[in-house]
Amino acid sequence: MKALRFSRKPGRYVAAGVAGRLAAGKGASVGPLKLVDVDDLKLPADDWVRLRPRLAGICGSDLATIDGHSSRYFEPIVSFPFTPGHEVVGDLEDGSRAVLIPILSCVTRGIDPMCGACSAGRTNRCGRIAFGHLEPGLQTGFCADTGGGWSGELVAHPSQLLPVPEDLSDEAAVMVEPLACAVHAARKVAASGPHQRIAVIGSGTLGLLTIAALRSEDPFGTIIATGKYPHQQGLAKALGADQVVSPRTLPRVVRSLTGAFVLDGGQLTDGVEVVVDCVGSEASLTQALQVVAPGGQIVVVGMPGHTALDLTSLWHRESTISGCYAYTRSDFERALELAQEHDLGRLVSATYPLSRSTEAIEHAANAGARGAVKIAFDLRKPAKAKR
Amino acid sequence: MPRPGFVLDVDKSTPPILFHHGEGFRLEKLPADRTRVIYPGEPLDALDDVDAEIQRALLDPLDMDPLPTLLTPGMKLTIAFDDVSLPLPPMKRPDIRQRVIEAVLDMAATAGVDDVHLIAALALHRRMTEDELRHAVGDRVYDAFAPQGALYNHDAEDPDNLAFLGETKHGEEVEINKRAAESDLLIYVNINIVSMDGGHKSTATGLASYRSIKHHHNVHTMEHSKSFMDRHNSELHHSNWRMGKVIADAGVKVFQIETTINNDTFGDALPMSVLAKREWEWSGKDRVAFVGMQQGLKRLPASTKRKIFQGHRAPYGVTSVSAGAIEPVHEKTLQHCFDQHLVEVEGQTDILTMGLPYICPYNVNSIMNPILVMCLGLGYFFNMYRGKPLVREGGVLIMTHPTPWEFHPVHHPSYIDFFEQVLADTTDPKEIEQKWEKQFAEDEWYRHLYRTSYAYHGVHPFYMWYWGSHALKHLGRVIIVGGDKRAVHRLGFKAASTLNDAFEMAEDVVGRHPTITHLKNPPIVMADVK
Amino acid sequence: MGHEKGLEKVASSVRAARAKVPPVRALVAQTTFPYRAPTTPLTVEPKPAEQKLLGHYDSGWARKLPARYARFFLTEGVVRPVIAGLAQPERRGLDRLADLDGPVIFAANHHSHLDAGLLITSLPEPHRHQVFAAAAADYFFDTRVKATASALVLNAIPIERTKVGRRSADEAAGLIDDGWSMIIFPEGGRSPDGWGQPFRGGAAYLAIRCGVPVVPIHLAGTGRILPKGKNRPKPQRTVVTFGSPIRADEGERSQAFSDRIESAVAALADEATTDWYSARRRAAAGETPALAGPQSGAWRRTWALTANRKRPSTAKRWPEL
Ligand SMILES: [Zn+2]
Ligand SMILES: [Zn+2]
Repeated sequence: MKALRFSRKPGRYVAAGVAGRLAAGKGASVGPLKLVDVDDLKLPADDWVRLRPRLAGICGSDLATIDGHSSRYFEPIVSFPFTPGHEVVGDLEDGSRAVLIPILSCVTRGIDPMCGACSAGRTNRCGRIAFGHLEPGLQTGFCADTGGGWSGELVAHPSQLLPVPEDLSDEAAVMVEPLACAVHAARKVAASGPHQRIAVIGSGTLGLLTIAALRSEDPFGTIIATGKYPHQQGLAKALGADQVVSPRTLPRVVRSLTGAFVLDGGQLTDGVEVVVDCVGSEASLTQALQVVAPGGQIVVVGMPGHTALDLTSLWHRESTISGCYAYTRSDFERALELAQEHDLGRLVSATYPLSRSTEAIEHAANAGARGAVKIAFDLRKPAKAKR
Repeated sequence: MPRPGFVLDVDKSTPPILFHHGEGFRLEKLPADRTRVIYPGEPLDALDDVDAEIQRALLDPLDMDPLPTLLTPGMKLTIAFDDVSLPLPPMKRPDIRQRVIEAVLDMAATAGVDDVHLIAALALHRRMTEDELRHAVGDRVYDAFAPQGALYNHDAEDPDNLAFLGETKHGEEVEINKRAAESDLLIYVNINIVSMDGGHKSTATGLASYRSIKHHHNVHTMEHSKSFMDRHNSELHHSNWRMGKVIADAGVKVFQIETTINNDTFGDALPMSVLAKREWEWSGKDRVAFVGMQQGLKRLPASTKRKIFQGHRAPYGVTSVSAGAIEPVHEKTLQHCFDQHLVEVEGQTDILTMGLPYICPYNVNSIMNPILVMCLGLGYFFNMYRGKPLVREGGVLIMTHPTPWEFHPVHHPSYIDFFEQVLADTTDPKEIEQKWEKQFAEDEWYRHLYRTSYAYHGVHPFYMWYWGSHALKHLGRVIIVGGDKRAVHRLGFKAASTLNDAFEMAEDVVGRHPTITHLKNPPIVMADVK
Repeated sequence: MGHEKGLEKVASSVRAARAKVPPVRALVAQTTFPYRAPTTPLTVEPKPAEQKLLGHYDSGWARKLPARYARFFLTEGVVRPVIAGLAQPERRGLDRLADLDGPVIFAANHHSHLDAGLLITSLPEPHRHQVFAAAAADYFFDTRVKATASALVLNAIPIERTKVGRRSADEAAGLIDDGWSMIIFPEGGRSPDGWGQPFRGGAAYLAIRCGVPVVPIHLAGTGRILPKGKNRPKPQRTVVTFGSPIRADEGERSQAFSDRIESAVAALADEATTDWYSARRRAAAGETPALAGPQSGAWRRTWALTANRKRPSTAKRWPEL
């Protein structure tokens, strides 16, 4: 069985870090990611099943790993060698299709009694992700025992599977995992609502899906989104943003919408009640602090990594920054409905066979500039490799 | 003897015609046998002794008593004057405002008037800086009044210093500067560079509040001002005249002083002087100077070019000074304006071309942003007509200007938001007015910047857009030659890289072999279309 | 043929002489444009010889041209920097001269030898290099060196202090008629105590005779740089205030006109120390303080003179850390 395998090779990891700094996605060609033949995976426990991926998306967190600049925080919660790929729709042995819920919580690890978070149903906050009968790994796609989506086969616990309705395309189904993240964020925002104005920073996959999810969870607020590229701006609008502006002009627009004053240095005196940061970079977080209203909240959906921020305004204006990671099963169920409703298959811009992984990863890393949203590996039949 | 303006029929021997192009120029060969070029008149003879003429006007005003008899020791006297938007480009020192104001103050000094205020009547324009005020009124006046707070900019958003005078019979609210309204005599000093300026508009707009101005600065009024350069057919002026009556009925006594200047915009020093010459009369020296200037400009960064052009001061000659009651004074002024600007033109044309210069009323010492490009072309130049528009209904307007996506961050903050938000949403003036104006007009931050910094009022970009609404309704297409593509598209226009491309694009709208008319402005020319 | 031989000899000696020349010629031949004049290409029509500019000029000026150049460089290169350093002049009211064309008489109050230099360098073009000064004959023209220097630097002509002599008046009027402007200090000499002295009639007389306007000028501050009786200058800020040109009325006597010039300068003095409008108010009310100061005892004159002088404090307001 073919699989893209990420192994612990410090030399290559450093090389990938250097290459990734030179150009996004370049880490794939020199880094520790290799297409290899692997033996069939062992089932970790009797109740586990095999899932043959049909489509497996390339996610921003995958790219960070490949380009060698993910945070060292991850080191204890991944296990090498692993096969990446956590956005997966695949075939079960009985021929039915399922979407993978990649979180490796207590149930999947055979931990009984479950941790507090899992007992409460908040599997995304599971405290046992490095323990139990599985190697460490926060999700499928980062764990040596489970395999990952970028291969011919992976193993999954039944609790990780969600059946896909007949009429949902593979393309739409592969969007369900990132959409579940967005639903999770939208629900969090809606729970603290209602809100008059919400800003969404970033119109990559996560940003666009967050807009769609917010629109369905909080139908009345004004959503202002930033989009760097025209196709992103168009999609953002189509998915429910009221106003889409270039990232540079977000502070101006928020100022104008809220009638705020501006302090020297650019800090607005007023702002939007909620900023959903789907980028997670130093620049985006700084901008979020600039445009959030006093007492408002910043929800970090994009993975931030190691970041330096001036938090004086956070303190002075009593705003909050909160993280927003992954999803629960219920978020996934909602996402499945929304994927159908919004015809999200259209966000899959291109697919590649595993053999062309270098190209695929470069494409994904430059998706915005190349007019794309989601890039995925197509594992359905090898003939399709000729694109 | 200055030669009047005229209409040139372009033939095969006509040299390429000079087009202004922002901080630069183009020489364009126009198609023979179907193109006309409307040339401005040469500068009329200036008054020999301006100061004597000012004295004469003040001592023998129209329909009013001589100024000295209106001045008494204990009175409250207010002198209002036009702001930095006039004239264009700014005038060489001494500015005519200074000369008039000094003459007025000399008489006030003789009469022993102590309570004198001087107010820059800037309506919703940005405040004038100290340098600009000094340029307008002169150092002597500035030093005598500014330190005591008796020389200042009008503030259309200062609730404590506005006086509500009533409503016109059309329900238009009239609210003007309180000091001006409560003075025993208000003297308004105008520079009437075009026929739009002056008359009742001076006080009713220049010293008014937003609440009052919005009654005539709107899409409806502008669409019914055909043109706003022709006051008898301008709804803008009808409204101002109605307000003028309310002001008079409220007991505000206005002594109007209007002055006109000639077309001597570029002087007689090379290389600028070549801009005022007719192309076939360019001497060798002129050509060398022009080529040198073109080559030089090509190599300079935009900001340097801007600095050079914005530094130009025009050596205008003063052609008339009239004083007294508003209406007779204004009629006389209009005559002087028309004498200089009006050129008779036979019939309309399919395509109107114009070369837009580096300056318009709202970017003195500033940047000409895309909205101002629209306003200069579709607002000012398009409306330079009496009778009918130069271009037929459904015709095409082609203008040359680089139209950079650039804004002056201090002067035009609301313009940036207007461009990024409003125009991205729609370019339809009515929709813009109805959907967006209130938000911008009442934005506290813009209000703050207008009142304390040097920003145009938040609503000002809307007015710029409304200014072009008559043209937008009339025209079939607008093409900007040499304009930044993104910016031009945002304006809702088409960009062309050459004039010939633009003619090609225009043929889609007006058909093959269209007639073309080029309005060769500046210096100022106004078409009297029969 | 002896004759031929003789010729041969001459020819050969010429050849011999020539043989010695070539090195020099070769040297000359080696030099190229721009070190020698360019030749005109055959296909090009040669440019017609340029019209001699000088032919259009009055020969009288032409004779003075080298001196004018020298003066130009002295004014701009020496006098201006010296004045800028010593007097730091602030020039006001230049806009009042915008309408002037043709010669005028600049009449200023007089505190110091620096006045003429300050005034010349403060004049706007084209007057600055088209001006002469009326200088006291007994002071500026008493020795040959001083006379030459005065004539060269200030373009001065000698004027008698006590009465306007026929000869000097004719000379000044002639120059004015030729288009030169004149600088004159109608007080006739520098102020002995900082206050002004009554104006004499010379400026008014010449203005009426030549039909030219008078520009009243007030100089403030030079008296403190180089007052009468001091040799070492002390830098001070100065203010040069130009007034509006005034002309003699129809049939006006020179004394009356002179009085008007004096009050115009007095009004400028008032303007320079207060502000324009207050000065105009006092002028209108006839309350402009006289240039000559209060007619009272010496101490009270000094007392009044120093009343509105701003003395920069030398004490540091805040300790330097
Ligand atoms: Zn992911
Ligand atoms: Zn758990």
